[in-house]
Formats: sequence, C-alpha cells, structure tokens
Amino acid sequence: MNPQRLRQRAAIIRALRGWFDQHGYLEIHTPVIVDSPALEEHLEAVPVGQQFLHTSPEFAMKRVLASGLCRIYQIGPCFREEEVGVHHAREFTMLEWYRAGAGTAELMDDVESIISTAAVAIGLPALTLSRRTVDSLRAEAGLQDTLNEVEWFRGWVEKVEPALLEPTIVYNYPTWQAALARERNGSADRFEVYLGGIEIANCFAEEGCADTLRQRFEQSNAKRRAMDRTPHPVDEPLLAATPTMPRCAGIAMGIERLVMALTGAENIADVQVR
Amino acid sequence: MGRTYQTSDFRNGLKVELDNGPYTMVYFQFVKPGKGTAFTRTKLKHMLTGNVIERTYRTGETLPAADVEEETMQYLYNDGEDYHFMNEETYEQVAIRADAIKEEAPFLVENDKVDVLYYKGNPVNITLPNFIESEVTYCEPGVRGNTAQGATKSATLACGATVNVPLFIDQGEILKIDTRTKEYVGRVQK
Repeated sequence: MNPQRLRQRAAIIRALRGWFDQHGYLEIHTPVIVDSPALEEHLEAVPVGQQFLHTSPEFAMKRVLASGLCRIYQIGPCFREEEVGVHHAREFTMLEWYRAGAGTAELMDDVESIISTAAVAIGLPALTLSRRTVDSLRAEAGLQDTLNEVEWFRGWVEKVEPALLEPTIVYNYPTWQAALARERNGSADRFEVYLGGIEIANCFAEEGCADTLRQRFEQSNAKRRAMDRTPHPVDEPLLAATPTMPRCAGIAMGIERLVMALTGAENIADVQVR
Repeated sequence: MGRTYQTSDFRNGLKVELDNGPYTMVYFQFVKPGKGTAFTRTKLKHMLTGNVIERTYRTGETLPAADVEEETMQYLYNDGEDYHFMNEETYEQVAIRADAIKEEAPFLVENDKVDVLYYKGNPVNITLPNFIESEVTYCEPGVRGNTAQGATKSATLACGATVNVPLFIDQGEILKIDTRTKEYVGRVQK
C-alpha cells in the first residue's frame, strides 16, 4: 500500500459519493454472503459454507430496483477466486449503480461525468471518452470474424486492448457475451469503459424477461459443467422480482482500477490495504 | 516427459521451452476480458539470442520447462576461438564458442566466477558477475580536477571492453564496471 495513493483513493470516493448525492442516487448496502454468486461461466466465487461471497452486488441491487427505488448505488467489497495480478485481487472494491428508465446512452453520459468528477477530485482535468463499437476496434486491429470464443478473446487481449490507450467506451458486443444484458439490433446492449488499455467498468441495459434470464442461467451453467466448474444456483428471488423490475441500466466499476488509471499506480496493491 | 508449467506458475525468471529454444520469462500479466476466459500476457527472452517475443497463454495452457541448468564456474582463458571455464570443485573444464557470448566476452576477467548456462547438457551461454574490476590499458591522459557532470571519454580495459569514464581517469587505474549496464561505477584502490 502507498499512503499517497490511499489519500487519492479517499478523495476520489468522497467525490463519487458527492456526485451520486447530487444526482439523486440512494446509497444502499446488499448482503455480501449470497446464495447465487454470478451468472458467468468464467467467474469463480469464494465459498462460505453452502453460500458464497458475492462477485458483484448485481442480483440483489436489481431486486431493490424492482421494489421501487429508481436510482441506487453501492460501494463495497467484492470477491473473485483465481484472479490475481497487477490489475486483479481476490478482494476488491466495486462501485455499482442502477438507473430506472435509462439505457446505455444515459449511462455513457453518467460514466463520463463520474470519471471526470474523480479526475477533478485529485487535481486532474476532466476526461472525454471516445465511443467505439467492438466491430470497428476488431477491424482496426486486423482481426477476422471468428466463432471460436477463445480465439475471439485471444485477439482482443493481444491486439485490441494494448492499442486502446485513449479513454474509450466500447459498445455493441456480440450477443453470446450478453450475460444479463438485453439484446438489441443483433448486439448485446452493453458497454465497457477502458482507461489506459485496462477495462474499468461494465454496463448492461438490463434484460427484463425472467424466462430469457432463466435460459441464460442454464446456458451459463451448461458451459460451467463442460469446463468442470461447479454450476451456480439460479437466483430464484431475482427471477421472481424481474417482472416488476423497471426498464433500467446498471454499471459496475472497479474502484481500484479507476484509482490506478487516474494516479498512474502500476499495481493494484498500491491502491488498496492488504 | 519433463515438467510443465501452468499459467498460475508463471513468474519472472521462469525458464520455458518453445519451438526454437529456451526462453526466460521477463514479464507476465494476468488479463481477463469482461465476459471471457482468463489469459496471461507474457514477454519471453530467448536465452541464447536475447530476442524478446510476446506470447499470450490461456489459463489451462501449459508450457514445458526448458532443459537448462546453471553452474558457477571460473573463467580461465580464451584460445582465440573458444572461451574456457572450469568447475572449481571437480576441475572439469568446458569451452564456449566466442560467437555465443559476443556481448559478454569483453567483460570476462580471468579467474572471475560466472554462471555457465547448459542447454540440453551443452554449455551455451554465460551470465557475468554484476560487477567486474579491470585495469585501464588505454585512455587519453586524465584531466585533474575536472569533475564536470556528464563529461566522459572512452577507456579500453585489460579485459577487452571499452567503456565511457569520467575525464579524470588515468591509464593504469583499476575501475569497477557494472556489467548489466556496461557502465563505469568507480575507481578501485590499489
């Protein structure tokens, strides 16, 4: 840990809370110990007895939206097994916010405003984010279309990410990477935010059909079984609440990565207490 | 079947075998695209040529360990073609061809200890000690009292290397050189 970075981190989080306050978002806290930790075949949760530490507060926050709160946010620890590196830690801090009545376009504006607020909080100028589609970035990197998932991501990691140095919003993902996002015009209606070639946030326009979500859980679990990973329990309370969930979009941002990108810290260990 | 490394074993200094020889890992970074499988980006340095390449491995892929060993040996002499080294315990001697150690050879000081790299049982390369000491056999006469920052001249050392040195250095002085940067560190009291 680096004391100077911890001061900057605190200044950024203080400014973020101020931004959410000003924009009418309510801070909430959802349980950290959950029955169903994620709908993603490549995420591994930390088990606690028969339950898990959450990998993100996504499912519980959607139930809060369905209960009638329209703008909510949360800053808290999340846990992911098997992820260790200069940009990964088993325990890290996630900022997640949801907005009823909004789609990805509104959250792109939110995220630009929030990153700028964080930058200004530590004496940097505000940032403008370029907006690029997945297809245009892949074409620019000279990548051919492929249906092979591993090769798709290998190309992304080897060719696209290292060239993504400008602050960029990347949108229009292939539908097989939808997770809990809705599909629109043949793409997954979601975006990711890159600062300095590192992904710092991921946004979904949320899928609102419980049957579709149940299918996605089942597809993801089929893939998990094929990879010898334990399937995750389907989050039944989430599916039960989905019919009353308003049209909404939500986004998760890694606080440590945001602080790293803005301060130039090269290792996540510098911006968190270990 | 030799040992193999998983991506979770990756670390700097790991010695692995690719199609065209042994490599040392000089950089690794865990990456995980938003909705995808995890990868480790690496930079690998060829242990004989020094060429650095970039490779990305998916979690679950494995790399075979390079069949390499290092042995500390004493540098004996150069016969014009080969450089000769001796194990100080067994007195066993080995020779390495000059073109395999072109970079290192000018910094070899007789009787210094170096690490000799064996690949598939054959001596193929060396790692120099971090510092060597060698006498200046030629340089322009020293300029007394000139300690201007940054001003240098070139000096030839007994071991064969040519390095940049401060202007006050004289012929016959013994210098300490950092072999990693090939730079002058200081004078050594005789």
